[in-house]
Amino acid sequence: MRYISERSNDPGLLVLTSLADGPKHGYAITVDIEEFAGVRLGPGTLYGALSRLESKGLIEALPAEDRRRPYRMTPDGVAALEAELRQLQSVTTRGLERLSVAAVAR
Amino acid sequence: MIARLSRLALRLYPLAYQRRYGDEMRALLEDQPPRARTVLNLVKGGLKAHLLPAYAPGDVVGPADRVRASVSGVLLCWIFFAAAGFGYYKSTEDAPFSAEGHAHPLLRDAHLAVQAFALIATAAVVLGAIPLIVAALARARRDPSLRRSMALALLPVVVFGALTAAVIAIAHSHAANHTSTAGGGIAITWGIAGLACGTACVLSCRAALFATPVAPDRLRVSLVAGTTVTLAMLAIAAATALYAIALSVDASHLAGAPNGPFQVLSVTSSLILQLIVMMIAGALAFLATTRAWRAESQLATN
Repeated sequence: MRYISERSNDPGLLVLTSLADGPKHGYAITVDIEEFAGVRLGPGTLYGALSRLESKGLIEALPAEDRRRPYRMTPDGVAALEAELRQLQSVTTRGLERLSVAAVAR
Repeated sequence: MIARLSRLALRLYPLAYQRRYGDEMRALLEDQPPRARTVLNLVKGGLKAHLLPAYAPGDVVGPADRVRASVSGVLLCWIFFAAAGFGYYKSTEDAPFSAEGHAHPLLRDAHLAVQAFALIATAAVVLGAIPLIVAALARARRDPSLRRSMALALLPVVVFGALTAAVIAIAHSHAANHTSTAGGGIAITWGIAGLACGTACVLSCRAALFATPVAPDRLRVSLVAGTTVTLAMLAIAAATALYAIALSVDASHLAGAPNGPFQVLSVTSSLILQLIVMMIAGALAFLATTRAWRAESQLATN
């Protein structure tokens, strides 16, 4: 339980998921994550995740619009997100299957 | 108030983060009005950024600015360290502690070591600051924004001085009428105000330092002073740990005595808390100093 909630609420994973449908700047990422995950990232957490993802080459910054700089995923970021989501999917699918088998047995 | 605190918390981030993400983070704070937890989130994020330099954005801070940032970082660490040191002094100032010091050489030597290193660190702060203050004063004659930064650095010192005078006056005039709870509340408020004034002063000094062109040899003098302060902090923390251990072994009746503003902690618990603050401040200063020396070697080769 703790494993799944920690992994699925990881700020890096949430940011990458938010950028999966196109570039966004900080505020747009925060609003998007709040909508799809119900988690409101504070600015310290958000920019901590952005700096980690940027230093690992998983996202890149686009030219700033006013003071707001949009970010987009790099090909490495797309591959990392896909691998991470498939792993999470495998765990959740297996867990749900086993729960339904157990429910039938009860 | 919260918005101002949030913007102030942004200045706790390492310089590389401020330069790379500062404008964006300020824009985000305008788009999304900050709450009290936003300030805590920023303070936590800033601390984490200092502790995980591997993720810091590269190539945005030159070596001279790295030295400036580290020197001002050490000064900020010293403010918090000194606050914990003041707690140590208040915990061990009474006559029974001196008497135990006479009877047990380890207690006496650890206490003397704390005092000696505190003097060395204070002298290093003053000696390191003098060349920078002289350079800033020379520049301030023709730079109004620098004059403003210097005045802002002085203001918290004046405010804290006035506050301390008021606390002393209250303590003298109403000593008999005040309960220990009121006295404890005043002491804690005074301590928090001291830390806030110290932080505001260092941040203004930092702004002034970045606005002042300083020759590399003067920066080097300040870095040597900062390194001395850092080493003194680590030595004081070690001596305090030794004192706490010796007190528990040699004078357990004093170690367990109630202590602090509300008398809820024992002397040993107070010393452990002070030691934790000292170790965190010392470790952060050590990180800042190490980074500064790496930058200084670049400065020397340029």
